[in-house]
Amino acid sequence: MNIKKSILLRVRIAFLLMGGVALAIVLKISHIQLVDGEKWRTRMEKRDIQFRHIKAHRGSVFAADGSLLATSLPFYRVAIDPTIASNKRFEEGVDSLSLLLSQVFTHKSAEQYKTLLTKARKNNRQYVILSNRYVDFQTKKAIEAFPILRAGKYRGGAIFEVENRRFAPFNSLASRTIGYINDEGEGVVGLEYSFEKHLGGRDGRALFQNIGNNTWRPRYDGSSVTPEDGLDIFTTIDVNVQDVAHTALLNALIKNDADFGCAVVMEVATGEIKAMANLGKIREGIYAENYNYAIGSRGSNDPGSIFKLASMMALLEEKKMQLTDRVETGNGRHRFFGTPLNDPKSGGFGNISVQQVFEKSSSIGVAKLVRKYFKDNPQKFIDYLNQFGLNTPLHFQLVGETTPYIKNVNDPTWSVISLPWISIGYETKISPLQMLTFYNAVANEGKMVQPILVKYIKEADKIVEEFNTVTLKEKICSDSTLRQVTRLLEGVVERGTARAIRTTQYRIAGKTSTSQKFIEGKYSKSYHTAFAGFFPADKPKYSCIVVIDNPKKEKQYGGDVAAPVFRKIADRLYANDLQMHPEGKVLTQLTSVKKIPKTIIGNVQDISTLTKSWQISTQQAATMGEGDWLRGKAQIDQSLTLKDIRVRKNRMPDVRNMTLKDALYLLENHGLKVVYKGQGKVLSQSIPPNRVFKRGRTVYLDLH
Amino acid sequence: MITEEIAYRRESRYFKGDPVIWYIVVALSVISILVVYSATQSLAYKQSLNNPEKYLIKHTSLVVLALVVMWIAHRIDYRFYARLSLLALYLSVPLLLITLVFGPTINEATRWLTIPLIEQSFQPSDLAKLALIAHLAAMLSKRQQNIESVKESLFPMLVWIGVICGLIAISNFSNAAMLFATSLLIMFIGRVPIRYFLILLVIGGLSISFALVEGQRFETAVSRWEAYKKSLYDSDNAHPQAQESYMAIASGGITGKGPGNSDQRNFLPHPYSDFIFAIIVEEYGLLGGALVVFLYLALLYRAMMIMAQSNRAFGGILAAGLAFSLVIQAMIHMSVAVGLVPITGLPLPLLSMGGTSLLFTGISIGVILSVSRGDIIE
Repeated sequence: MNIKKSILLRVRIAFLLMGGVALAIVLKISHIQLVDGEKWRTRMEKRDIQFRHIKAHRGSVFAADGSLLATSLPFYRVAIDPTIASNKRFEEGVDSLSLLLSQVFTHKSAEQYKTLLTKARKNNRQYVILSNRYVDFQTKKAIEAFPILRAGKYRGGAIFEVENRRFAPFNSLASRTIGYINDEGEGVVGLEYSFEKHLGGRDGRALFQNIGNNTWRPRYDGSSVTPEDGLDIFTTIDVNVQDVAHTALLNALIKNDADFGCAVVMEVATGEIKAMANLGKIREGIYAENYNYAIGSRGSNDPGSIFKLASMMALLEEKKMQLTDRVETGNGRHRFFGTPLNDPKSGGFGNISVQQVFEKSSSIGVAKLVRKYFKDNPQKFIDYLNQFGLNTPLHFQLVGETTPYIKNVNDPTWSVISLPWISIGYETKISPLQMLTFYNAVANEGKMVQPILVKYIKEADKIVEEFNTVTLKEKICSDSTLRQVTRLLEGVVERGTARAIRTTQYRIAGKTSTSQKFIEGKYSKSYHTAFAGFFPADKPKYSCIVVIDNPKKEKQYGGDVAAPVFRKIADRLYANDLQMHPEGKVLTQLTSVKKIPKTIIGNVQDISTLTKSWQISTQQAATMGEGDWLRGKAQIDQSLTLKDIRVRKNRMPDVRNMTLKDALYLLENHGLKVVYKGQGKVLSQSIPPNRVFKRGRTVYLDLH
Repeated sequence: MITEEIAYRRESRYFKGDPVIWYIVVALSVISILVVYSATQSLAYKQSLNNPEKYLIKHTSLVVLALVVMWIAHRIDYRFYARLSLLALYLSVPLLLITLVFGPTINEATRWLTIPLIEQSFQPSDLAKLALIAHLAAMLSKRQQNIESVKESLFPMLVWIGVICGLIAISNFSNAAMLFATSLLIMFIGRVPIRYFLILLVIGGLSISFALVEGQRFETAVSRWEAYKKSLYDSDNAHPQAQESYMAIASGGITGKGPGNSDQRNFLPHPYSDFIFAIIVEEYGLLGGALVVFLYLALLYRAMMIMAQSNRAFGGILAAGLAFSLVIQAMIHMSVAVGLVPITGLPLPLLSMGGTSLLFTGISIGVILSVSRGDIIE
């Protein structure tokens, strides 16, 4: 046999072998289709597989100082694929794993866990839930280190299913303003709703399989469409002010057995809302943040006497009346076209000045004055109210604001008593926040600014959007009117209905309201009390409104019910804000007690010793590099996130918040001379951080 | 006696060599583009919502590029490849080593190397495979007169087979086993006496087990084998991926669901590569599957005819060796899909999506075509 023939023979044998394989493949296809076909087709139909949404991580809501108001925290369900671990790993680890699991999840004993795992492995069950209880991040970390599971997902079969839950570190504080989310994780009210677009992010999608009991297990690790996480919103809310507003309002509501109340604090120049507390009675003596009374329609009926400020301003803008003009208010009972109007003092105020009409809140006086100057052209009075911005919705960041309602003369419900009644705050609908915006404009030299509740939208540390103050009306009235009404408002606190809250430390300008509710054309026994104003009166910094509806105890006057809440809030703001203090006068500051300080700065070794000895868990920030100095930021779960501080040659390091010992060490190593005063931690440094400096310079440190 | 004649009815000016192979390659390329487009739907959806045609465009250009490479390769006289093969073999050893040490880890194994400057990743094992087969053909043809000599013939071949398969096995066991089997088959065709194969089996077995135990993929190989053993008794025990493949095949029926109608592409891992045959049967049915099997077999048959036609042993063994290498991989891929052998992640040559292996397949077929042109007289 020659070589070629031999080769060809062999190649034909090999070809036949391939032909055999090819035949086997075709036969196996037929076998799968014809013999097993029904089984596989049924299984395919029955298979419960869906593309399901993967929730994007919802952004957090922060207070102005960076404290968390609402955040989503991950909780985990622990499961295992017991078939994944190798025999060796499984045999060696199953006993201790069972024991450890029984210690974490107390509802099964170690024995039970061992039986469960061994059986599941034998029966080739690829998904075993170890407990229906969701565990927090710290526990999850611990479980990840257990035997078998510590080999990870692909070699140990560990499965952690995450579920995010909304968590409010300050509980009910401002909870109606922050809002809440429904079961689908979408905001339904408040900021959670108004900023849903930013907070919610974009959900992803992936393939999941129903493994019974409506438990969905992801089929493959990578998700099909990666979710885009939501952004964080930074509000203007000051947790300390909010806390005071909340507590003071709550105490007043309980004390007066009122139906509901709200308190809003605004910074005069910027319109930033520092606090917005809303409380409604849900049971006897129990109040909750159940409705936004400050902006919603339920809190917006007849504003009452605080509206008299607008009437006075309209009268003063006409420039026909002096504050010293006399008004006859009589015996406190007066009928306008047959409808009675009463003044609060029995026997009446008699003949008083315009100034006194306002200070004593004489409804007869205000109604008479407005009738006197506007009865021939009542629409002109309404036009003034429009000019003051009272009839325009604020259209600010919070959704759900009620539309104000002040009727025109051609309104079908307009009657002869409409003019006097509107002038004292009836027959209109204005929300407390709209009223506050108006008072704020008076405090802000006539400039009406839009309330602002969210200052920044951030993605991690990057500002995505910043909201600046929006001017609604450049000037709502003349300067002379402003000067005169400020005197009127100060007079209310100095001598008038709100003299109970007078203080010698700073001057308050404001107006009380005590209106008996008109029900079916008659005075009823229920009252609506309020106080709106600003302080310090000479250089207004904050404006504030307090509304308390239907107090049922002996005190029913705005000056006694609502005004004290205002005073408590003002006191706290005054104490916190050194700018408002006349020099030399300092009130002691209250600081809240926390387990760990908000920031710790120091040497790597020191921080590690500290965290170890105090058993504080730490996490490293994503940008963690290698430095000798660390900044630790407290997280709400009482752990520290560590970040390194870059120390560069010939650049001034940031030593603020460092202890004197660390600051001295660091600065003297940089060749600086240090002069310090005070004790404790570094408050400020004379050379700003990152500034280039010459060696041998002197740096001054202030400590506190 | 050899009676087969390849009928060159009208030799084209540009496309030389066996026209039937050209037809087969074009047919497979068309099927490839259709099926890959369908199979990448879920992948395209996952990665770029805006451009679902991304993978179609990418794959089609690679198929065209592979055809170009094939055309270039077929214009070159096949004798040139004898010299080139040794060079390529020397090059592939350091490349394989570099990949093992520096390559990125994909699926817990390092198989890929990124070519600097053009940033294209490729598997050095593809190059090594081609080089080894070409060099085996050269060695076998040179030693036909003293093929029984262990020292002269058997030993040098074994060293190369051992080195290359061993290096590949560390990161990719199934590929190495396949190359080893192909090498044995080529040696068998090249008249190596049967008795030597027993010795070879022992050596091969030893080096493979060494690579497995020391290598990165031991647990994977064992678990796949365990799953396969279980599945032999009952298809319900088959590997979950195999079960998905059965569902694809069973639901395809005789004529299939039609192009682009696969359901299982969402459930099979790498439906555009490791399980493309299952998608073919699902969309084109038993008939479509059988056609693909037939096309590979026809390719092999034509290569065998080229061998019968060739004047030199080198050309014949080279063409047959490359054809067998390609068709063996195709048969294994299809056997995996239908559950005849345990799960391995092998692409289907000429059909699967997957950049550079497509180009190396193009070179292989170009070389076969070059052999079919006979000795080119310059």
